Amino acid sequence: MEHNDTQLPAVSVRGLTKTWAGGVEAVKGIDFEVATGEVFGLLGPNGAGKSTTVGMLTTTVRPTSGSARLHGRDVATDAIAARADSAVVFQDPVVDRALTGRRNFEIHARLWGVAPNDVNPRIEQLADSFDLADLLDRPVATYSGGQRRRLEIARALVSEPRLLFLDEPTVGLDPRIRYELIDVIGGLRARFGATVLLTTHYLDEAERLCDRVGIMHAGRIVALDRPANLLAALGDQVLELRVDGDPTAALARLRSCGVAGHDSFAVGATVTIPVRGRTADGVLASVRGTGLATTATSTRPPTLDDVYLRLTGDTLAA
Amino acid sequence: MSAQTVTLSPVAARREHPRATGALSALTTLTRRRLALSARTPRELLVPLLTPVLFALVIAPALASIGPTIPGLDYMSFAAVGTVGLLIPLNCMFSGIGVIIDRETGARRDLLAAPVSRPLIVLANLAVALMITALQVVVLIIAAAGRGADLNTSASAVAWFLGAAVLLGIAMYSVAETLSNRIPTVEEYTGALPAIAIVPFFFAGSLFPITALPSALAGFARMLPLTHALAVMRYGLLDHNASGLHDIWGMSNASLMAGLSLAVVGAYAAVLSTMALRTFRDSVES
Repeated sequence: MEHNDTQLPAVSVRGLTKTWAGGVEAVKGIDFEVATGEVFGLLGPNGAGKSTTVGMLTTTVRPTSGSARLHGRDVATDAIAARADSAVVFQDPVVDRALTGRRNFEIHARLWGVAPNDVNPRIEQLADSFDLADLLDRPVATYSGGQRRRLEIARALVSEPRLLFLDEPTVGLDPRIRYELIDVIGGLRARFGATVLLTTHYLDEAERLCDRVGIMHAGRIVALDRPANLLAALGDQVLELRVDGDPTAALARLRSCGVAGHDSFAVGATVTIPVRGRTADGVLASVRGTGLATTATSTRPPTLDDVYLRLTGDTLAA
Repeated sequence: MSAQTVTLSPVAARREHPRATGALSALTTLTRRRLALSARTPRELLVPLLTPVLFALVIAPALASIGPTIPGLDYMSFAAVGTVGLLIPLNCMFSGIGVIIDRETGARRDLLAAPVSRPLIVLANLAVALMITALQVVVLIIAAAGRGADLNTSASAVAWFLGAAVLLGIAMYSVAETLSNRIPTVEEYTGALPAIAIVPFFFAGSLFPITALPSALAGFARMLPLTHALAVMRYGLLDHNASGLHDIWGMSNASLMAGLSLAVVGAYAAVLSTMALRTFRDSVES
């Protein structure tokens, strides 16, 4: 069926649910849309349901209920068409290590229907762009982890997909390579105009790369907005208190005294209080007025980690 | 690499509708890929060939020299064709190792994300397994002929042989594909391999007629696709009396018996390949 899909969202998810055999509900009726050209991040710890969601969008996981459409094409009933205009970079290495980088490119290009005359020019261009030109004719088994990752991203782009899924693209890489790849990913939209849906539990990635993020927790999307808007909900600063004794009891005490609101949270030995509308010194004075014993205090700007902890009471980088 | 090395030029006008990848083109690409991987894995090419060649070149002539006789047949030629019944299952089962490696550390997930019909991945694997098996069978037959096996190479003889060999190959590769999608590790798969690939060889009349077995075991042998495949192969290449087919069917019309046995092997191939495709589908679309 032919779609006039230029006006359609790149990704449209409605009530998407996945219940595994045995009754484990991995995804519990999520809804979101990703506009064409947007970079959208799904954030959450391991087990939040991010990869299961990507699995359903890339048609390797069968949804239990709900629907998902890629440029208007239903992933369950029109799977091949849905896959035709997207590509995936997986969390784990997914390459033919015994084959050369060039051969990996060629196989991907042919399966995605790239015209034969376009294959080699695109490979050469991508190899130049991703600094792979000198490696192309070597077996992938000889590549370093960072080189292999670049190959996988470049390979995904050889078909010029309109929608690119990046599942934890930098996990397991050393910090230097990770930051280099963040820059590479950041340039994808400018170069290819591709819509990007990435999953990550690295907050700096999401803040740097994403126009909007959906925070997933226990199979649900618990927040969905621009990173700046999510951060603004916590104000300009948060006050962190390291407390003696039970931090949950300390938080309850601060709440009962009106010092901490429901947007405050306790993790480990630390209670975090958004300062919003007050001064850090004023909040600290109020804390001391309650008689609560603290071992250390500090203030800092809020992060998406704070947003996540406030929403879920859990840690993001689990 | 540094971030500065990533030079991104403006994108060309984007296509609005994705292209479909034709099934034949996709199958060709997938087959060439699997072939390239197999060609870089000497284990897949050489290990399955070793035992049957030794059987054909060493054991069969040695046995022939000390006296086993098959009425109307040269024993060495009889055994040489019998070793094809070891080679095909062994090679097809070894191909399953590549499927597990592909799934665990290879590019299979990228193939699954491709806009092509996923059963083509299985068909490509099957095609390559058959190609490599064919190559090995040719090597085996040439080696056996060189050692003195007397084989009929008329068109009809080769046609019967090929029909049985191809259908047996499809059946055995289907078993390999099914198991490789159910068994989590290469180690476990390798442990199961001899039971599937080698044990039937001892019952299927590979080195002696099934009538030499106790009647219960002979009955069991008649149910094995390998027994039927070997009887048809021998009917083609060396046994115009169709004694192997007669041992199975007890009829006198050789062509009819050969057709029936071929149908049996074909039925196994159809059922097992259907099962393989279902197992594959269930393993990749959880």
